[in-house]
Amino acid sequence: MSLEARRRRVAAAFLAPAGLVLAGVTLFPALGVVWMSLEQRALIRGAPEFIGLDNYLRLVSDPRFWNAFGNTAYFTAVSVALELALGLAVALLLSRAGRARPALYAVVLVPWAVPTIVSARMWEWMYNADFGVLNYLLGGEFNWLGSPLLALHAAILMDVWKATPFVALLLLAGLQAIPRDLYQAAAVDGARPIRIFLGLTLPLLAPVIAVVLIFRTIDAFRVFDAIYVLTGGGPANSTETLSIYAYKVLFQTLEFGYGSALAVVVMLAVGLAAVLYTRMLRGVS
Amino acid sequence: MSSIHESGFSTAAVSRFSSPGRFTPGRERRRVRSRLASLALLVVAIVALAGCGASERDGAARPDLVFKHSKLFGDPAAFDALMAEFTQETGIRVRRETLPSSSDEQHQFYAINLNAGAADFDVFAIDVVWVAEFARAGWLRDLTRLLPPETRAEFFPGPMAAVTHEGRAFAVPWFVDAGLLYYRRDLLEKHGFPPPRTWQELAETARAITAREPGLYGFVWQGKQYEGLVCNALEHLWSAGGEVLRGDEVAIDSPENAAALAFMRELVDPGGVTPDFVTTLTEEPSRTIFGRGRALFHRNWPYAWGLFQREGSAVKDKVAVTVLPHHPGHDSAATLGGWQLAVNARSRDPEAAEKLVAFLTSARVQKAVAAAYGLSPPRRALYADPELLAAQPFLAELAAVMESARPRPVTPLYIAISQVLQAEFSAIVSGARPAGDALPAAQAQMEEILAR
Amino acid sequence: MRGGAARVLAGALVVAWSLAPFLWQMITSLKPVAEIGVLPPLLPSRPTLEHYGAIFAGYPLLRIIFNSTVVAALTTAGATGLGALAGFALAKLGVRYRGPILGGVVAVSMLPPIALVSPLFLAINAAGLRDTLAALVITYVSFSLPLAVWLMTNFFRSLPDEIYIAARVDGCSALAAFWKVMLPLAAPGLAATALLVFIFAWNEFLFALSFTSTAAARTIPVAIALFPGLHEIPWGEIAAASVVATLPLVLLAVVFQRRIAEGLTAGAVKG
Repeated sequence: MSLEARRRRVAAAFLAPAGLVLAGVTLFPALGVVWMSLEQRALIRGAPEFIGLDNYLRLVSDPRFWNAFGNTAYFTAVSVALELALGLAVALLLSRAGRARPALYAVVLVPWAVPTIVSARMWEWMYNADFGVLNYLLGGEFNWLGSPLLALHAAILMDVWKATPFVALLLLAGLQAIPRDLYQAAAVDGARPIRIFLGLTLPLLAPVIAVVLIFRTIDAFRVFDAIYVLTGGGPANSTETLSIYAYKVLFQTLEFGYGSALAVVVMLAVGLAAVLYTRMLRGVS
Repeated sequence: MSSIHESGFSTAAVSRFSSPGRFTPGRERRRVRSRLASLALLVVAIVALAGCGASERDGAARPDLVFKHSKLFGDPAAFDALMAEFTQETGIRVRRETLPSSSDEQHQFYAINLNAGAADFDVFAIDVVWVAEFARAGWLRDLTRLLPPETRAEFFPGPMAAVTHEGRAFAVPWFVDAGLLYYRRDLLEKHGFPPPRTWQELAETARAITAREPGLYGFVWQGKQYEGLVCNALEHLWSAGGEVLRGDEVAIDSPENAAALAFMRELVDPGGVTPDFVTTLTEEPSRTIFGRGRALFHRNWPYAWGLFQREGSAVKDKVAVTVLPHHPGHDSAATLGGWQLAVNARSRDPEAAEKLVAFLTSARVQKAVAAAYGLSPPRRALYADPELLAAQPFLAELAAVMESARPRPVTPLYIAISQVLQAEFSAIVSGARPAGDALPAAQAQMEEILAR
Repeated sequence: MRGGAARVLAGALVVAWSLAPFLWQMITSLKPVAEIGVLPPLLPSRPTLEHYGAIFAGYPLLRIIFNSTVVAALTTAGATGLGALAGFALAKLGVRYRGPILGGVVAVSMLPPIALVSPLFLAINAAGLRDTLAALVITYVSFSLPLAVWLMTNFFRSLPDEIYIAARVDGCSALAAFWKVMLPLAAPGLAATALLVFIFAWNEFLFALSFTSTAAARTIPVAIALFPGLHEIPWGEIAAASVVATLPLVLLAVVFQRRIAEGLTAGAVKG
């Protein structure tokens, strides 16, 4: 066998285990979901039957779907924007922290290390309208989790708390990759801090920011755990995201056909976002 | 899964990785290798262990029957004695397995396992709203044989309706629950008010008394978007002459319902009777508020009584119960809850399973369980039984309520309907939408579900 | 200096913001029952460990912690091992379609879990694996593979090609060269990968919720999400369980913060 062929065989052998697991546990199920979305498959109705795109037609005229889509989009947009702003502030602080940096770094990591469910329970405890510490400290009687206007924002705040460390650490790495002499040159030129930030730092950070946007958007769009524990989707479905709606359809009403169609829509939306952002990223860098 | 991305896929744009690719000396290499080897051994050992994960169920000698139910609140000795009696009488051994107490979890467990054709449990306790669904799916054995007409007459009509699907009985009621009004008898007496008969009276009494008692809430109930909200709302709209389903027709969008649900909203706003965070309350948080003496009226299931009367309770001996109020011109209504015993359609020994169900739902055993655990039996005659009343005096107050307790719409599609009702009722109670908008939306969605 | 004071203030705010919720949960877990739903006072008048005792006594928490540990450990071993193999191949064995393969691997990781829950769930039922730890391990390994493959590819790429070539010239087979030479050199990468995979597996909720139904296979996040018993939401116990569930991870994060930072950014941090 030629050297090339042997090389390729060895490479294939190394890649095979991971490839098999990925194909079996992730790829095939993904295809399975697409297939099930074309079926009428409700557990209480007996055998599944193929119905083509009917589930999708139903989805398009389903007001609850659009409500969930809107909630998810709003949640994503606001939380990503806040995470970016706060993360940048924290990153700037960390970059100037000097000797305090390791300690500060460790502290900043804590929200990231806390399991999402634990975080949801913690915030639920703080948001309690009757005896929660937030209302106590603010001196008000805000109905954080029970008001249709406040509930989604309460969820956003919790998500921002959890995800900001990740954004901050990435932006910090980006900041530290900017060569010091650029700053020195700007200082020599007499530029003011704000001009340096806007004209030098931000543009050089743009690729990192784009990457952050991609991954945070994708994650925020898929949000499930935290909101499920915090509010369960209420009040008045004001915190029902696409994943929560899909979960309820799949595992409460046991409609695997329609639920799969919902899941496919989430897949498509996430894929679309990824493609758009990657184009943007290529345009920027 | 989100933490996968928080965990660093973002290497794309960040500076290329450049770890210090130093050589490690030979000793270091060997140490790493031996550590990896011992890790591999550990992994093998753990894999062997993990395989033993859930094998507690598959014991050596399989008992004749497996009975699944949620945990009984109290001393297990009494129930164990009853099971021992059964084994002695029939020679059938029974293994009991408890499930987590959340209704949703149990539903998921049953649906998943029964759909997969599981035959590893025979008798199981199901919530009153699942019978039609499970029966339609073919997961339940027809138990009409166990409920001949004379037996049926001994049970309350509500649970009987709930276990009947297309004329056949697919479960036997085990114990029942219904919504009650708890109130602070001491405060009503102090301010000279009688227990309210109508909802308007309740609101007026609450306003009057809370004006004079600072820090007291008027009426706490369950207003979070979940199944409990449906139970609460039905009690309001049934007592106004409204309906959800009339036969096969959706009747949710009606003036009676709109008035009743608008009244619920008015308790919160502008009412001042119910705090606005009622939209976050389920049974336990609301029970805690009343149990700490911070509310005048409370709607809950009978279980709360025992907790209010236990040692150390802030409201011990100050609480009384009565039937829920009604709107003028109509009767009070209470939503039916409770658990029924069903037999797995794929049970390996259906006759034995039926014997167990008959035993557990016999008058004698239900009386014993009620006496030991304070659960409310579904048999009318037991509420006049002097021995049972001596052990659980509270049951005397419940007879009338249980007689008129109404089941939620009995349809295989109840869960889907409930999701719609939960959302629309929550919209009304939280003020997101007025009843005039929410009810037509509920009507349309329910019709769409039933038409599928 | 004004700038310095502002920085200290900002630092204090960041510390408070990051730690406050967790600290409050710790304080709550030490409060006696009578003081839990009552504010003021903020701090317990007589701190007690009764909740910590209760969560282990009245609840199979030890079993659940064991489950989480086993699942996380096995997942870490599996994903790191398979990821190292694949990453090495992609980095050093001249695979032709490396770019698209890596891109595909990353794309797969973007699939929303909710999309995959139902078919996996049906498959696991069919395989008779419902309510077992094995079901979780298999699923988690697959979901953490993209990350492991990505990280290990990068780590291996940073190692000079000559080492591998030299080992092969010396007569080692590819596998032997990998096992004896390249893998030990990639130890930092393995460590970073292992940490991140462990944390992911420990925290995962949706699949654990859907695939398990009893304490036999339940993991910590599900236990905490479903904690309330029949009656009485035991806030003190939930707080104690939360602390118990989180401390290992917080300690891991703090002790290994450098490794984690390397993994998160896969770039050398200057200074």
